[in-house]
Amino acid sequence: MTGPRGLRWGLFTVLAFTTLLPFAVLVAASLGRGWFWPDLLPPDFTLENWAALLSGRGRLGPAALSSFGLAVGTGLLAVAVAFPAGRAMARLGGWRRHLAAGAAFLPVAAPPLAVGVGLQYSFLSLGLGGTHAGVLLAHLVPAAGYVSLFFLGIFAVHDDRLEVEARSLGASPRQTLVHVTLPALRRPLIEGFVLGFLVSWAQVPLTLLVGQGVVPALPLEVLSLVQAGQDARAATGALLLVVPPLAVMALAGFALRDRAVVVA
Amino acid sequence: MRRFTPGRPASTGLLFALLLALPVLVGVAYAAAGSVGLAGAGARGLTGAPWMRVLADGGVHAGIAWTLWIAAASTALSTAVAVALAVAFRGSGRLDGAARVLALLPLPIPHLVAAVCGVLILGQSGILSRAGAQLGLVSMPADMPALVADPWGVGLIAALTWKEIPFLALVAFSILATRGTQLEEAARTLGAGPLATFRHVTWPVLWRGMLPAVVAVFTFVAGSWEAAVLLAPSDPLALPLQIMERHTDPALARRGDAFVLVLVALALAALAVLLHERLRARWQVLER
Repeated sequence: MTGPRGLRWGLFTVLAFTTLLPFAVLVAASLGRGWFWPDLLPPDFTLENWAALLSGRGRLGPAALSSFGLAVGTGLLAVAVAFPAGRAMARLGGWRRHLAAGAAFLPVAAPPLAVGVGLQYSFLSLGLGGTHAGVLLAHLVPAAGYVSLFFLGIFAVHDDRLEVEARSLGASPRQTLVHVTLPALRRPLIEGFVLGFLVSWAQVPLTLLVGQGVVPALPLEVLSLVQAGQDARAATGALLLVVPPLAVMALAGFALRDRAVVVA
Repeated sequence: MRRFTPGRPASTGLLFALLLALPVLVGVAYAAAGSVGLAGAGARGLTGAPWMRVLADGGVHAGIAWTLWIAAASTALSTAVAVALAVAFRGSGRLDGAARVLALLPLPIPHLVAAVCGVLILGQSGILSRAGAQLGLVSMPADMPALVADPWGVGLIAALTWKEIPFLALVAFSILATRGTQLEEAARTLGAGPLATFRHVTWPVLWRGMLPAVVAVFTFVAGSWEAAVLLAPSDPLALPLQIMERHTDPALARRGDAFVLVLVALALAALAVLLHERLRARWQVLER
């Protein structure tokens, strides 16, 4: 059912406007100078906010670097945990599979704030409060859940005949993993890393609670800038928060197109 | 030659599952101890006072009800829009492709960014207010109806809906692409009109397939703190904000109350997990 042509164009126009307006507003706020009410567009433009960010002045730059390091670490650790977890869970059947999927879904469904409040004391008593290591481990809680569910889905439909053949031909479990399984699953491994990266990149309450305001992070800086009414700098930080996710989405789109070409 | 057959080490899979859930279980145990005065900064020995205080607090009841309203409204709106988009743009034309790209664009955008955009667009000196001024409808920012931190949570619902549409649209697009066409063609062949086909075929297929994702969105939205902190009012105070407020309260006695609220939030999430798994299992049975 596609509906009348005019209705589809009308819906498309509304969709384009509502989807793109927020991005346009962020760009305008980030580049605008002296943009006060009731001006609909900035009267003048400046690269001041971006220059400050790139030169490391202010807190956005260091916070972005800190967040990037945390996200890369979380992505790598999440894959290291979730790859074997997803594979082991995929071998379960019946009620065991449901129980395992439910357990993996728990850290995904539990609000990070609730998990953070519950875990904060444990982290403090382990000396992890206010440290990058502590925040990374806290981010790993939901990230490992997401990525494990992702690998559970991958291994549920994964054809393991090549691995079985390799083992039958005398390869050790380690050789099979390194020379057969990992190369065959390179793409899901990258996607799993990206998923873990993004969970950490956008994380706010866990960073705040475990990092105790000492560990800088881009989302926390953006939050405090908005609350302080510094819209231009907040918009700059928000755009920076948007760049990695959109880049990943664009790359994923291109990769899919490449694959489609190869398949065709 | 020996033929290798992979085993089914059930214990390994379950151990991994336990490892993933363990931090949440530790958090629950700590919150449970904290809620009865056995742990946490304000702990003074076994007491039921935090439970009594929280359960008798009208502000808590209002906050939970308000949070459920926000989650229900955002989830219902984003589901409706996602279904409309999936039905309207499921074809293979250029307009369909462009619409699908646009619909999915905000998928990886952090909730915080959606909330920042909410402030910049819907705030009293935001873009909407400026557009109103250009049209002569608003003469000063205070004339603009409050859409941020308003009692009905209009700004929060708008931001969360914008953020959740792509995920639900993605699910809806893939359901229609894989399951809808044949059934619809059969219905059309049997003489059903477009509306009857939608009502009796497309909608049931979509709804059944989307339910687990809808439950996931509801749960996520109900527990989201960063959007609420920027867009929600202070009265009634959303559940996530109540947790943070009590958890960071200088009066240590109130911190036990935060643990009670954490348990309430986690109980809601656990209910959603059960519902999600049940629906997923039922859908898998229906797929076979």
